[in-house]
Amino acid sequence: MANTINADNGVSSGTAGLKSTSDGTGILALQTNGTTALTVDASQNTTLAGTLTLGTATQAVPSGTAPLYAARAWVNFNGTGTVAIRGSGNVSSITDNGVGDYTVNFTTAMPDANYSSTGSAQAVPGSYDAFFQLTSTANPTSSACRFLVQFPGTGQRDSAYVSYVAFR
Amino acid sequence: MKRIIYPTDDGGVAIVIPAPEALETMTIEEIAAKDVPSGKPFKIIDTSDIPTDRTFRNAWEYSE
Repeated sequence: MANTINADNGVSSGTAGLKSTSDGTGILALQTNGTTALTVDASQNTTLAGTLTLGTATQAVPSGTAPLYAARAWVNFNGTGTVAIRGSGNVSSITDNGVGDYTVNFTTAMPDANYSSTGSAQAVPGSYDAFFQLTSTANPTSSACRFLVQFPGTGQRDSAYVSYVAFR
Repeated sequence: MKRIIYPTDDGGVAIVIPAPEALETMTIEEIAAKDVPSGKPFKIIDTSDIPTDRTFRNAWEYSE
C-alpha cells in the first residue's frame, strides 16, 4: 500500500482527472492511469519504473541489481601539435607537462582521492600499444590526476587521441 | 584561444589547456587561479604563441 497520486485518463476507470489515496505507510507513489511510475519509500529511497530522460538524453535502464556508478569526470583530447580538448565533463582544464605527460584538473573536486582512474591513447606509427600510467611523481588528489602515455620501447609519447575517465 | 603557462619545478614549462565546457561558466583567469599550483607565476598567452612542433617539448622553458 502507499499514498498515491494518480493522473488518470479515464479509459480504464471511467473517470478522468487527478486522484489520490492515503494511508499510514509513509510511502508515496506517483501514478499515471493507475500504474506506478515513481515510488518514494519511508526512507526517501526513490524507484523509477519507467525510463528517465535528462533533457533530450535517455538514461538506459540497466539489467540486474548491481549498483550503477557513473563517471565523475572524463576528457578526450588531442595530445599532438596544438594540444586541444575535444570534449569533457567535470574537467576545467588539462595540463600539458611535457611529452606524454598530462594532468586532468577537475571542475568540481572529488570527495577524496580514492577514485578509480582509467585511460587510453591511440597508438602512434612504429608503436603497437599505448599504455595509460599514473605517474609516480604525483599521487592523485581530489582536485587533479596526473598520468603518462607510454609506448613500449619508446617511452612517453604524444598521441592524437587521449582519453581519461574517473569513477567514484 | 588562450593558454596558461607556468614554470615547472624541473625548469620546464607547463601549459594549461582550458576545457571549452569549463569556459562556458568560468573565465580563464578563474581557471588559472584554480589549476595553476599555488605560488607559481603564470601567464595567459595566445595559443598561436605556442609551437606546434613538439619534437623538443621537454626542452621548452618558461620566460618572464
